Order: sequence, then C-alpha cells, then structure tokens
Amino acid sequence: MKSFRFPLAAFVAVIIIPFAHAQGNYEIQVYGADTVPPRSTMVELHSNYTADGQKYFIDGVAPTNHAEHETIEITQGINNWSEVGFYIFTSEQSGTGVQWVGDHIRPRVRVPERWRWPVGVSLSTEVGYQRAFFSNDTWTWEIRPIVDKTVGRWYFAVNPALERTWHGPDVNLGIGFSPAAKISYDFTKQISGGLEYYADYGSITNIASLHDQQQQFFPAVDLNVSPKWEINFGVGIGPTAATDHWIVKGIIGRRFDWGRPKNQ
Amino acid sequence: MNASIANPEQTSTLFPEVLKDSNPGRPANLSRRRFLRDSSLAGTATLLSPFPTARAWSQVGQAAPLLLGHSSAPDISIEIGEIEWELSPRKRIRTTAYNGQIPGKLLRLTEGKPVTIEIENKLDRPDIVHWHGQWIPPDVDGAMEEGTPMIAARGRTQVTFTPKPSGLHWYHTHVTAHRDLKKALYSGQFGILLVEPRSNPAPYDLEQFLVLHDWEPYFVTSDDGSQMVNYDISSINGRMLGHDNPIQVRQGQRVLFQILNASATEVHWLALPGHQFQVLALDGRPVPTQAKVDVLRLGPAERITAIVTMNSPGIRILGETRSRFRDAGMGTIIEYANASGKPQAPPQVQLSWDYRVFGEANITTHKPDVSIPLIFTSRFQGHGALDRWMINGKSFPDTDTVMLKEGLRHRLVFDNRSTDDHPVHLHRHAFELVSIRGASTSGIFKDVVIVEAKSRVEVDLVADNPGATLFHCHQQDHMDSGFMALFRYA
Repeated sequence: MKSFRFPLAAFVAVIIIPFAHAQGNYEIQVYGADTVPPRSTMVELHSNYTADGQKYFIDGVAPTNHAEHETIEITQGINNWSEVGFYIFTSEQSGTGVQWVGDHIRPRVRVPERWRWPVGVSLSTEVGYQRAFFSNDTWTWEIRPIVDKTVGRWYFAVNPALERTWHGPDVNLGIGFSPAAKISYDFTKQISGGLEYYADYGSITNIASLHDQQQQFFPAVDLNVSPKWEINFGVGIGPTAATDHWIVKGIIGRRFDWGRPKNQ
Repeated sequence: MNASIANPEQTSTLFPEVLKDSNPGRPANLSRRRFLRDSSLAGTATLLSPFPTARAWSQVGQAAPLLLGHSSAPDISIEIGEIEWELSPRKRIRTTAYNGQIPGKLLRLTEGKPVTIEIENKLDRPDIVHWHGQWIPPDVDGAMEEGTPMIAARGRTQVTFTPKPSGLHWYHTHVTAHRDLKKALYSGQFGILLVEPRSNPAPYDLEQFLVLHDWEPYFVTSDDGSQMVNYDISSINGRMLGHDNPIQVRQGQRVLFQILNASATEVHWLALPGHQFQVLALDGRPVPTQAKVDVLRLGPAERITAIVTMNSPGIRILGETRSRFRDAGMGTIIEYANASGKPQAPPQVQLSWDYRVFGEANITTHKPDVSIPLIFTSRFQGHGALDRWMINGKSFPDTDTVMLKEGLRHRLVFDNRSTDDHPVHLHRHAFELVSIRGASTSGIFKDVVIVEAKSRVEVDLVADNPGATLFHCHQQDHMDSGFMALFRYA
C-alpha cells in the first residue's frame, strides 16, 4: 500500500491503548515499477471506505470507522525513467464533514527498460504533511523499493517500504517496515484479478507481535479497458486487532498525453 | 560510411521517366568525369562507401571464391558470421552480419542473367538467406517453410537463380527469433539486392543507398497491454546520425535514393527539409504516377526508389520525422557544397501516407477469378507475453493452406481486425493494390503492403510462379508468433 497510514503512531497506539487501531487508508495501492511517460500526466482518484474500522478517538486522532477517504493523486512523467507524484488527502465522516487531511509529494525513479533487467525495479520516496487531527505524526517520510515481474498472464510485485516520522510522537521510534505485495492473473486482456497484501510490522529494530501488526489482504480486480485508464477495485480484510477489519477501495485514473502529435 | 555511388556509367539508371522533371538549369546527363570533377567530395564518399561501385562490384564478383567441394565457381560469396560493429565511436555492438559489414555488401545483379551465390554459415546454428522480392523457385527462395534447405551450422551451400524482376530488392535471414532478440532481423543479416535491367538507361547524378535499421531491442509492454519490441538505437547504413560521412551534393544535382527499411519491426518516416521526394518505384516496381511527397513511409521490408532534386542549399538531416528515432540515430547528413552551419532536422509533421497517390490516374478495374479472404486477428497471451497472431483464426503452422490456380487472378482481401498495423509480404510474387480502406487504385505492384489496424486492403495476385509460396507479416515478432500461411498451386 502506497499510503500514509501512520503506522508508527498506530504501533504506539496499539501498545499504549490496546483497543486502538491503525489510522489512515488514504491510498491503497501496490506500486508497479512503471513510471508515467514523459509529456503525460496521470490523474487518479482513490476512494476508500472503512466499513469496519477504528471507532474511537485515540489521543485526539479521529477514528476511521465509516470514514470515506478521497485522495487525488497527480503524477507527472519527467522522462522515461522518472516521475513526480502529488497527493491531496481528504476525509469525510459523520460529525466532521469533509476535511482536508494533508499533502504529500513523491518523486520516483526506475531502472529504464533499456537496461533489460530481468525484473522491473524502481524507487520512490514520499514526504508529506498530515493534520494532527488525522495523525499525531504530522511530518513523515517513506522510501519504497519496487520490484515487479510479468510472466505470461501472471504479475508479481513487492514493495518493501520503510517509513520514518519526522515530526510527532514516533520520531524516536526509528524506521518502520511496511511491505506490500501483489499477485494477479490476466483472465482476459481487459480483466486481471489477484490478491494484494499490505502490512505494517512496526519498527525494523523491534518487530511487533502479530496481534499488534497491521495485516490486510485485498482480493482485487484490475480493468485494463484502455491504455489511458486505470481502474482497480478491491475489498480488504484486516485479520489482526491493529488493522481496520473491512475496507472497500477503488482507484480510477486517467492519463493525459500532451505536447506530442497523436500519431507520433 | 555512406552508401554513395556516383553514377558509374553516367547513363545507368532504372528510370528514364525521371527525365520528365529534370532541372532545366542543369544538364540531366552529367558525365562521370565531370561529376567527379565538380564534386570531389562525392567522389570521396564513393571511395569510402561500404558498397562497391558497379565496376568494383564486378571485380568482387570475379574474385576467387571460397569453395570447398563444389564443382561450379560462384559469382558471389556471402559469409554469415559474428562481428563487432561500430554504430558510432561511442556505440559498438556485437551482432551477426554478412561479409563482416552492415549492411551486407551490395549485390548488383542483372535481370535475366543467372547468378550463383555461395553462402558460408560460420554460426553455430542453422541459418537461411531469403532473396526478398525475387520471383525464383521455392527451393532457392530462402524460406524453409517453402522447402528451401537450411544452411547447416558451420556449413555452406550454393544457390543459383535467375534474377527477376529488376529493381530494388534485398536479401536477409529468414530464421525465427521468438524471444531471442539477437537473432533473425534483429541482427545485421541484411543487404541490398539491386537487380538492374539489361537495358533501359536513364540519367541521375548520384545514386544513394539508405538502409534503415533499429538496434538493441528489448521487450516492453505496449499501450494496448501486450508486449512489443522497442529499440534504443537506430541507424542508416549501419551508422548513427552524425557518425557517418555526410552525403555531399551540389545544387541542381539529382540524387537517386534507394531506400530499404530493414528494421525487424518498426515503420519509419523519412523527410529531408526543404526537399521533396519524387517516388519512382515501390518495392522495386516502377509506379504509374511519380508523385512528389514531403515524407516517405516505409514499413519493415518496404523499399522506395525516389529522386530528389537538390534545390535548397544548406546542411540538412535526411532522417526520421519523429525526434525520438532521430535522437536514437535514424538520420544522415546531406551537405551542399560550400554550405556551413548546423544541420536542419526534419520538422515534426503529421504522419500520413496513401499508396494511391502513386497509382494510375485512370483506375483500371479487373474482375478477379477467385476471392480469398484473409482475416488477421490476435489472441491475448498475457500482459507478459507476445500476442498469438492468426490468419483466418489459425496460427502457423496450423493455418489453412491457400490454394492458387495458375493463370488466375486471385483477389486477396486482407481484413485486419487487430489493433496493430501489419506489413504483409508475399514471397516469390508481386501483387497489385486494388483498394485501401475501400478506395480503389491500380497499377501499383508490391510485395509488401502495410495493412493498417482495423482496415481492409485488397490486392490482386495473378498466379504465375508455381510452387510453395510463403505469406507472412514482416514484423519479426508477429511472424514468429504465427502470422504466416503457405500458398500452394493446385
């Protein structure tokens, strides 16, 4: 999951307040190694609804239960091996209305295809701010290696992300480990289905117990209806106490090509 | 090195019709001596050319051949081997090629005069050489599907055929590559086969061969979700743009360009800023209307013979109109005498091409004896795989054999229902274009035609060369993935 889910805050909350749950779920996506082509802009809307999540305010942070999170992601291709993404996070919830949550910026570079590596590899880093009402850690940083591979109809991707809090209670907790992975199968040219996995193991120097880890599994479908469109839908199950138990997620994206003739 | 050949005998060209548009300010028929005197740099380019002049070639043809255990001396020897080739001082590649050079040496043959060619295969795998565009028997045509024997690894063979028809053709390997992007037409195994008529002289000042190719292929996932081949490097005559000797010209000269797209998969668009191409022939066959165009489109395996009157002095790039290919090396410099400055690149233009502008002004219609629909479709194999290509619902070798009757006019209806363009090629024959997207034409004979995505092209084939005949898409990855069928005579 390429997201700010404030895992360290969640980890602390889990430790300190046993019934606490992780916060967030703003952008739930396993990254592939591809980057947006140059002279193209990708605009995505991430819609995530927590059907069964954290129901209480914890340390002044809003609950996630029945929260609708809408995230606008705008990614600009720089060249054939880099891009920059920008996020606008919002939350809508009974009692609080529509709220701006924060913004992130995410540069990413990839190993160009011309290097002919046997797997796709890219590296993204993400820095951003989120309001304390939604996360005690207001400034966070993430670095996310991305490795993927397509073999015939099968697709595999892993994102072993590392996260760090720059401002907030988790500053002293060090680096957190939040891997994500995906496996999918092309049923047809247009329809692929598979399983996405998101986790937060807490600090890499002090891995949390399973009970306190975030673990989410999303059976998900990708619709490849057009090269310009990205459509993804999934339902997530969080089996551990520290995880929101049910989340419905959807992504719809449109790529805009500009600055080049249509037939070039 | 440019494949520049000053008109060796001053009267030897294929197209007398070019006289129709000769520059009145300049004699169309320069003497060789005067040409060399007036253009010493062009002469230098000739000396540097990887292609021998006609005279030099005749010397090559008489050289003692490498023969072991063969009774007849070949006219030409071709050696298939691995080479290291310099596309630019900073870009060297390892590939396979003919006679240690890219493109392979120019084979300048005479129509109707039998030729014997010895081929030595120094590779550790079997190979085969196809004489593209020649109406010759299937046992020497160079396609194992037709019955031509493969040349064994480390083996050699001799083929003898009578060149026909005249015009710009080529020779190239006809093996499959599949996912090995070092083989087949991804390599440097190609060269020009120029068949000259026994007579029919006509003037030009300079003959220039341009062979387009793309290098360093790799698979990428295309926009439509399936894998395709992409390239980092492109070249003309085995050199990247800026790393070849400029083609030296003088104002008023008439330069005959013989252009071959030897790319494994890419269509190329060429332009020369400030100049127009007067197209004389397509795939070696003269066209009824020698229309002038700003841009040339060449699909894989297509050839264009065009003359350009040098009437816009300066330093120009004759190259791809698309900057990404030009940046990759697809271009060559045209330099007028006494010109200086930065080379001017072709402008970005709308890419459009219509074969019909070269057709007969008054369209001739023929009633076909037989109509043969050939429907092109693909089967998705996964985003990490190449599509499987089909003709009438089947992939080679399971495609249905198309039966021809000698002497009859067969109308082949190419119905491309896929989202890819296909440069389809018929061996050992030429066909006449009849309609493109429903618009009629006549008088254009080709052996390769691009059938654009979601379009229909009709061609007439008069069956006049009995024997097994291979039909396939000339895009290497499509051909390797089943886009082939065999035609046979009943």
